[in-house]
Amino acid sequence: MPRKPNNSRQTRALLAAFLEQSATWRHGYDLSKETGLRSGTLYPLLMRLSEQGLLESRWQEPERPGLPPRHVYRLTAPGLTLAREQELAAMPAERAGALA
Amino acid sequence: MTAAPSRWRRLAVQLVQHAASALPGARAPWADAMRRELDYIGDDPAALQWALGCVVASYRARLSQWFSLRPTWRQVATSGALMVLIGLALQENAGGQTQPPWPACDEPGASRISSTPETGSSPRPAARSDGLKHDPTACEAISATDRTQEQEPRSR
Repeated sequence: MPRKPNNSRQTRALLAAFLEQSATWRHGYDLSKETGLRSGTLYPLLMRLSEQGLLESRWQEPERPGLPPRHVYRLTAPGLTLAREQELAAMPAERAGALA
Repeated sequence: MTAAPSRWRRLAVQLVQHAASALPGARAPWADAMRRELDYIGDDPAALQWALGCVVASYRARLSQWFSLRPTWRQVATSGALMVLIGLALQENAGGQTQPPWPACDEPGASRISSTPETGSSPRPAARSDGLKHDPTACEAISATDRTQEQEPRSR
């Protein structure tokens, strides 16, 4: 049976973190602290989601002078849909039915 | 005036630079992203941990790029590697066995090794290339001892 894509525990944790603040651009280190994922796991996930069109990224100018621009990330519309689907799938059945 | 970076910080910077160089060229923005994020991590041990993770991430990206190559090339590379391994294994097993071994003394015909009546010539080369020499008298002596032991019970 083929494995369902983007359904690993780490991917679900990352998508849930993005969904919590869906309109906010997030930094890599910030996401790492929130999800508990190390950079060695986080960046391959970010790259993969970005290549699948589920994540958008841009460079953000630093708030303080002397620091370099920072790469920031946000879910795209398909990414948000996937994150919501996964959140619903993770909920107990009765709660999911009430929300749907 | 800014303080000089600690040894751990310098190591972290070097690791992140290595990670950036190991990432495939198409992912250069990601290499920059990982490298610049390091400047926002104030804690040196955390920065080092981050840098190590970046090295892992870059190696994983490189491996995933290798496995996503066109199947034809992957198959060719795998077959080539397999053939080399088989060749090496065969060479290893065949090493040193250049001539068949001498027959043991209890094998039929072992005592007749020096000459054959049919041809009148030696069935084997006089000297082996590995320097070992066959001593036909040794086999004959063993056969004589065996015959003596067989005859002794009859004489009693």
